[in-house]
This record gives sequence, C-alpha cells and structure tokens, in this order.
Amino acid sequence: MFDPFLLSMVLIVVLALFGLGVGLAMMCGSFLYLILMDLRMPRGFDPSIASEQLLQGLYNGYTLLAIPLFILAADIMNIGSLADRLLRFCQALVGRFRGGLGHVNVVSSVIFSGMSGSAVADAVGMGKIIIGLMTRDGKYTPAYAAAITAATATVGPIIPPSIPMVLYALVSDQSVGFLFAAGMIPGLLMALMMGVTNYLIALRRDFPTDDAVPARDLPRVTYQAFPALMLPVILLGGIYGGVMTPTEAAAVAAAYALIISIILYRSVSLSAFWGTLKESSRSAGSIGMLIAGSITFNYVITRENIPNELATLLTGFDLSPTGFLIAINLLLLALGCVIEGGAIILIVIPILIPTVQAMGIDLVHFGVIAVVNAMIGLITPPYGLLLFIVANITKQPVGHVIREVWPFILALFVSLGIITFVPDFVLWFPRLLGYQG
Amino acid sequence: MTSLRKWADRLADLANHLTAALLLSMFVVFILQILFRYVLGWPVLWTVEWVTIAWLWGILGGFAFVVKTRDMIRLDILYLAVPRGVQRAMDVFVGLSVAAIFAYTLPHAWDYVTFMGIERTAAFRWRFDLVFAIYIPFHIAVILRMLLLALGGVTGNRDTDGPAPQTEPDTNV
Repeated sequence: MFDPFLLSMVLIVVLALFGLGVGLAMMCGSFLYLILMDLRMPRGFDPSIASEQLLQGLYNGYTLLAIPLFILAADIMNIGSLADRLLRFCQALVGRFRGGLGHVNVVSSVIFSGMSGSAVADAVGMGKIIIGLMTRDGKYTPAYAAAITAATATVGPIIPPSIPMVLYALVSDQSVGFLFAAGMIPGLLMALMMGVTNYLIALRRDFPTDDAVPARDLPRVTYQAFPALMLPVILLGGIYGGVMTPTEAAAVAAAYALIISIILYRSVSLSAFWGTLKESSRSAGSIGMLIAGSITFNYVITRENIPNELATLLTGFDLSPTGFLIAINLLLLALGCVIEGGAIILIVIPILIPTVQAMGIDLVHFGVIAVVNAMIGLITPPYGLLLFIVANITKQPVGHVIREVWPFILALFVSLGIITFVPDFVLWFPRLLGYQG
Repeated sequence: MTSLRKWADRLADLANHLTAALLLSMFVVFILQILFRYVLGWPVLWTVEWVTIAWLWGILGGFAFVVKTRDMIRLDILYLAVPRGVQRAMDVFVGLSVAAIFAYTLPHAWDYVTFMGIERTAAFRWRFDLVFAIYIPFHIAVILRMLLLALGGVTGNRDTDGPAPQTEPDTNV
C-alpha cells in the first residue's frame, strides 16, 4: 500500500499546482493523511483531530492577532494623504542628489517600513505615488521606477513592525519583540545597499537630480510630515519601553493612523474607512486561511516526526553551520522563486527549526535570515508577487521590470550575505534590549 | 445560473460587511484593552477572548462567504501556462477531490464541535460548541464551492468561481 504521508504530500503539491489556494491545499492534504491513518489503524488517529488542531490553533494564537491589525493600519495609511506628506518630506531630504527620486523611493520605504509590516502594502500605497512622480515628464523609465519600488518594498517587513516576523514567531516560538529588534539594522543595511545601487545606476545613465527644496521650506515640509514621522517612534518606543505587546502596538498603529488621517489631515471619510475595513478583512481572511492550513499541516509533519528526522539526517552530514546556512539560503531563494513568502515561512521553516537548533544557530538570527530570503523571493522571477504588483501599477510587461530589477537583487544578495555570516550584526540591537542569545 | 450568481454576490457583500464589522470590533476592543490595562490599571480578560473569537469567525466565515476562490493565495504558474482544456480538467480534479475529502471529514468535524459543548470560555462563559460553530458552515461552503468548480470544469463555463490571473495582491505579507 501507499504511504499515507507521502500520498498526502503529493496531493498537496498537485492541488497547489492545479491552482487551488495553498492554505486549502494544505488543509486537504492533512485531512487525507488523517483519513488514511484512521483506516489503517483506527486507534489513535481520527479525522476530527484536524478540526481540533485548526480550531484550537487559531483560538490560542494570540500573537497572530497582530496580523489583521497591521493590515488595517497599513491600509488606513494608504487611503489618507499620509503617504503624500511623507514623500514630500523625503524629497526635501534626498531629492537633490543624483538619481534623486530613486533615493526618495529608498528613504520613504524605510520610513514607511517603520509603520507597516508588509512589503505589499508598501508597494501599493507609497509605491503607487512615487512611481507616478518618477515617471512624470519621462525622468525615469516606467520599468526602472517599477523595479526600484518593488526592490525597496522588500525592506518593509525587515524593519519592524513586520507581519512575516509574527508568522516566524508563531512557528519558532521566539519573542516577537526581539525578532522585530533584530530586523532593524539589517533593514537599514538593505536600504543603504539599494541607495548605493541607485546612485551607481544614476551615474551611468545620467539620471536627473530633483530641484532642491529651498532651506526655508524645510521646516514647513517637516512640520506637515511630523505626525506621520512620529508613528514609528510611538510604535517602537511602546513595544521596547514595555508599554504594549506587539499585538497591541498593531492596534495603536491603526488608531494613530486613523486619528491623524481623519482629524489632522482631514483626508479620510467615514465611508472610505468602512471600505478599508472591508478590504482589510478580506486580506486578513486570505492570510488567515494560509495560517489555518499550515497549522494542520504542521501537525502532520510533527506527528510523522519529520523535523527531528531531518535534523538527525542533516547533522549526520557533519555540515558546518556556515555550510548549512549557505545551503539554507540557496534552498530558500530557490523556493522563493516559485512560492509566496508567507507560505515559505509557515511551511518550510518549521521543518528546518530543529536542525537549526541542533547546529547551534540562534533562532532570532535565523528568523531574520528566513524573512530576508522570503522578501527577496518577492522580487525574484518567475513568481515574484511584488514584480506583478508594480508591473500592474506601471502597465509594463513583467519582463521589462525583471530586466531592471537584477542590480537590486544583487544588492540584496550582498546584504543577505552580511546578515547571514555576521550574526553579531543582527543580534547586536536585540541584545542591547536584553536578548540573551 | 445567473440568478444564483447574483444571489451569491449579494451574500458575499453582506458577509463582507460583517467581516468588516468584526475587524472594527477587534480594533476597538484592543484599544479598550490598552486603556483598561495601562491607563485605568484594571486587568481585563474578556478583551482578548472577544478579539480571538472575532478573528476565528472572520477567517472561517470570511473564507466561506466572502473570499472568492480566485482570490486565494495560490501558485498559478502552471495553471496559467496550460491550455483551457487542461485547466478544465484540473478544475474537475481539484473540485472533486477536495469536495470528497471535506465531505468525508464533515461528520468528524461535527463530532468535534459538538463535543466541545462541555467546555466554556474563560471570560464570557460561552459554550465552545457555539464559539467553534462557524467551522461547520465553513466546511459545507468548501464542499459546495468545490462542487461548483468541478461543474464549471465540466460545462466549460468560464464565469465560474475558478482561478483567474493574479494581478492584485491578496496577501499583505
């Protein structure tokens, strides 16, 4: 007879390749596993276990509650004029340099990253506006504007807050607060690398500088953007000052964005807010299904003892941690070309965690590596979600965007190398905040 | 078929208003929790419970009635690369196998949900079979939708609830 586990895994892959949602495919495979095991040995296996795992997993996942609220916060920021004001501020700050709007793109992504936990939210909100600025008067080609927007959006979930870090916290049992802190410096490094890339390309192709904003306008531009600029400070201060949990911080971010958008900037109507709630709840439901599927799937692989067996197998190869990390990076990057980032973190990472522990690699450090890999996966062809989004915004063929995005992927590879092989670079900041790793 | 579709769209929009209301309630209750705990110094238990239940109902109810099959997070490289005839065959396979597995599991899901009636939540003292009740409509909705997907594959009706090219983001990762 066929092995129930193997059969279920084949079913998941086939269903997913045939176009079924990944969450539902995982649920289905896990159900099939339990049905087959129940038929084989009725004691100890019962298909109702799947229901129990799924319902209890969702019911007890307090950390996960940050996800719908971070989605809501980002969506509110994107309907108001908050992004506009931030962009004007960034333009005043770095627009005067060679390739100015490219730098504005990088810096605005960094600031927006401090408020939203999602690369997609960054690309569709701030990204849409800055692509408009860059392509106006033919200053930059639409393909370049699209490529740099997609590339800088990957910083979003590295700099805290971050939805993928929350997902990683779920599967690795690490503290969300320390994971957030660990992303801080790597996120800034990635942004710096992309700024340098933009500068080099700007020199070679003679990109324009933007008109320098006169110094006397600076206070006004800063003042107008100030409430928006305060949000990252409030969020991070709140989390690390011990005032609120990351989950509560997500609610505070949404409330703050709503208050400044409605009261201060007067740019969001109640009906627009309701529309945002509807949209956010749809996105949250969609990612919730992925989480639900991965909960049942993780039950199956744990029951089959796969993660531990893999750990025994891999440690048996006598791989050094360095060799192992190189292999993991290659694996995750390859998977990132075809699977969506959140799915990688929820499906692949849990299988690897025991091996990572056995290798003596710090789990917070590994979390940053995993999330950076997943984010690079969002802009690597053929399946890069961000590439499709920016191609759609600019009405460019994806192929043209891909041609322009390579230098940025290279810059991210360099960053990934540093993040992977210099653990102290990642862990310095969380340790400063009391992380004992 | 068209009137059925119109009816389904109306139901989806109504359900979307409900999931929006659930999200709003999560948001408001979280803010209340922060106020209670840090400003007034009252420890509260019911807030977390409410938010968790809203999240559970939002996901399962939202999936059952709001999220279209084509809006799910999925890999569509292969699906989009093959001719329409092969896509139809894929739809029939996916629809029938998923519907069959969910149908077989349905009585077990029912058993678990009703079994949980013996326990109550910590703060509201609500019975868990009621808290988890949304799982049953979710389960039935999956079966029905997958049968419709298979039917669409058989009849070749393009307007069915099957996958379409992904240009808009559905995840916020």
